Amino acid sequence: MKRLAGMLLVVIRAGRGRALPLLLLALAAGLFARIEESPLLTVREAQFDHYQRWQPRSRDNEPVIIVGIDSQSLVEHGQWPWPRDLIARLVDRIQAGKPLAVGVDIVFAEPDRYSPEVLGEHFPGLTSETLAALPDPDGELAQALERAPSVLAVVGLSRDLPGARQPSRPLPVYDLNADRDRRLPHFVTALASRPQLARASAGEGLINGSPKLGTADTQRGVLRRMPTLAFIDELPFLSLPLAMVRQALGEGGTVRLEDGPHGLQAIGIGDYRLPVQPNGELLLHYGRASSHYYLSAADVLAGVHPPDLFAARFVLIGFNSTGLQDRVVTPLGESLPGVDIHAQVIESLLAGEALQRPYWATWMELGVLLASGLLLIGFLPILRARYAVGGFVALAAMIVAGGHLAFLAGRYLFDAASLILLLSPSFISLLGNTLVTADARRRRAERQLQQSREETARMNGELDAAKRIQTGLLPDTTQLFAGDERFALGSLLEPARAVGGDYYDCFMLDASRLCLAIGDVSGKGLPASLFMAISKTLTGTLARRHRQPGEALQDIEIELNRDNRECLFVTAFVGILDVDTGQLEYACAGHDAPVIRRNGQFLRIDTSTVGGPPLCAADHFPFASASMQLQAGDLLCLFTDGVTEATNGREMFGLTRLLSALDAPESTELHAAARLLRDAVRTFEAGHPPSDDLTLLLLRWNGPSER
Amino acid sequence: MHLPTREQAGVLIVSVSGRIDHTASEEFTQALEPLLVCCAREHPPLLLDFSGVDYISSAGLRVLMMASRRAKVQQGVFAIAALQPMVQEVFAISRFNLIVPCHATVDAACKALGA
Repeated sequence: MKRLAGMLLVVIRAGRGRALPLLLLALAAGLFARIEESPLLTVREAQFDHYQRWQPRSRDNEPVIIVGIDSQSLVEHGQWPWPRDLIARLVDRIQAGKPLAVGVDIVFAEPDRYSPEVLGEHFPGLTSETLAALPDPDGELAQALERAPSVLAVVGLSRDLPGARQPSRPLPVYDLNADRDRRLPHFVTALASRPQLARASAGEGLINGSPKLGTADTQRGVLRRMPTLAFIDELPFLSLPLAMVRQALGEGGTVRLEDGPHGLQAIGIGDYRLPVQPNGELLLHYGRASSHYYLSAADVLAGVHPPDLFAARFVLIGFNSTGLQDRVVTPLGESLPGVDIHAQVIESLLAGEALQRPYWATWMELGVLLASGLLLIGFLPILRARYAVGGFVALAAMIVAGGHLAFLAGRYLFDAASLILLLSPSFISLLGNTLVTADARRRRAERQLQQSREETARMNGELDAAKRIQTGLLPDTTQLFAGDERFALGSLLEPARAVGGDYYDCFMLDASRLCLAIGDVSGKGLPASLFMAISKTLTGTLARRHRQPGEALQDIEIELNRDNRECLFVTAFVGILDVDTGQLEYACAGHDAPVIRRNGQFLRIDTSTVGGPPLCAADHFPFASASMQLQAGDLLCLFTDGVTEATNGREMFGLTRLLSALDAPESTELHAAARLLRDAVRTFEAGHPPSDDLTLLLLRWNGPSER
Repeated sequence: MHLPTREQAGVLIVSVSGRIDHTASEEFTQALEPLLVCCAREHPPLLLDFSGVDYISSAGLRVLMMASRRAKVQQGVFAIAALQPMVQEVFAISRFNLIVPCHATVDAACKALGA
């Protein structure tokens, strides 16, 4: 499972997250090119239906009247099929109003059951005289049809069925074009009315809803397209409504076929023109159905309506009864009698309005798909996730709006929904990459943060250990000479950071000689602390070997200089006090001269003549020693620049403040005095970080002692 | 750290200013580096005008010490002039005047170095 997820991640992120979307886009384009064979067709049809529902064709005038054989008619005139003489009366009633054309959406394939020949078969006892005297319903209908500009229905058949008959009224003039004609529907034969009736009518028109009878070309039972022109046994026939218009136009009703590079583009009758598909199919733009233009056949027969009603109108005779199954479902979601479709086709032709889906529509959609896809692939990876989503939504909205605009402007059918659907996989892959990348970045940042925290914690731990070790290197003056009456010591060392470069030392060289040392390595913190450890150790070792502090300093410098590539240097002061006599010998290497408080007065140890530069600053400096006599009660204060150079941001602590801070009562215990002095410095700093390590080494000599 | 330079009497004078404490010493080292490259034999002496420096810490002194050593190795001349009293005191305490030649004023230094 984890491997699978890992592989998926690799695929998503390939080519900076662009390889997979490109592949998906290519697949989408391939699928789009073959959309007719894919389930996406459903989406496309739904989208196109939506356009029609949004903007149905307006039906302002009603050029067509439908005379429906409805339930009322069946009640009044008996079961279907009606005798042909009744239909002949119906046609005559209509013709009385001088309509433009009368279309009969009924096929009269067999002889009327009351025709003499049928009756003769049924009743062999009837004589030929009797039969000859009987009325001929077919003949009556033929006569009625002859009087009117009538068009009969024909159903094209793709295979020869029993009762099939070739219709006899094809288009009289037809301009042959092999390339166009092979795309048009071709029927082997047809279901047509009896020749007697066909000959009497002015023309015959196809009423097929699809090019192939019996196959569901209509998606989900919805009728969206219907043939306008088809061949029956190689003879051209118009559809019923178009044939009616041709009839109405009479002499002017010539049929023009507009050929494009990919077959038929439009069909014209007289001055009217209707855009069609290359296979001659009309994409009908439906209007909302209404009952306004429906008349009941029974009412027409009874003469309820004045004949003028039919004047200058097209009249269709068809079924409008739930019992007689001839209903279609339209994209508007309405279930209409089939005859209504013919009425709508006539209206469309007269208005010259049809839905347009030119041959280049697919190429344009493919272009939009590829351009949008490449746009997404180009820009999405450089956007944040939320902008990426917003960008895709905006693009999708633009495509949808474009589709609606195209429909509004020219009834063009633009397949926006499929495009968005096909862009989605690429988008999801891109978004996935964006999210994965963002997530990886966040994880990396978290890991780094965690690492740096751990690092800091470890550093702090190590620094703490280093601090303990450094503190442990320094003598604990509270314990060291606690019992000695001859002198008292106090010390304090506070590094500016965890560890520092300051140090001090104090130890007895023999029974009476006390060695004091203080040092300050250049710089502070960890680098200085390493050098401090060496310096302090060397001071302690080498001071014991020499009688003179100056010699000790020279020796220390030599040792420090041996391996000092970083050129660190140390200021140091070393003093050797004979605690019995008060004689102090000292040497100084660039360090601040210690202060002495004597009877409330302050003086400084004179280092001006013997002092040298800091250890390691110059090579082999001949440090000299000097000596002075301490007096009983003298307080010696050794300090580093962490005291005098402590700053509050404006000025430094300085010697004057040091001296006044030292001016504490004689009796003060020296550790406490050191802490008081430190507190004075910290108070002065007022929150400013310490400028340097702070070290104090205090010594009070109690006066000569007898041994 | 910006170090403006000028030339006077054949001496390259570099004006240093501000506090050269622990933090600034690192910058001071870097700023001085390109100048030190040229502080060699047959090149003009390098003089740091310290009149604008009001504090120098031990880390700052170390920078001067290393500069001085480098100059010595390259057989160039390196000196400081016009120290403020506070800085002068630091030099006195640490005896840095023994490490880096110090002059009272820039003019005096030019006279001494130009000769």
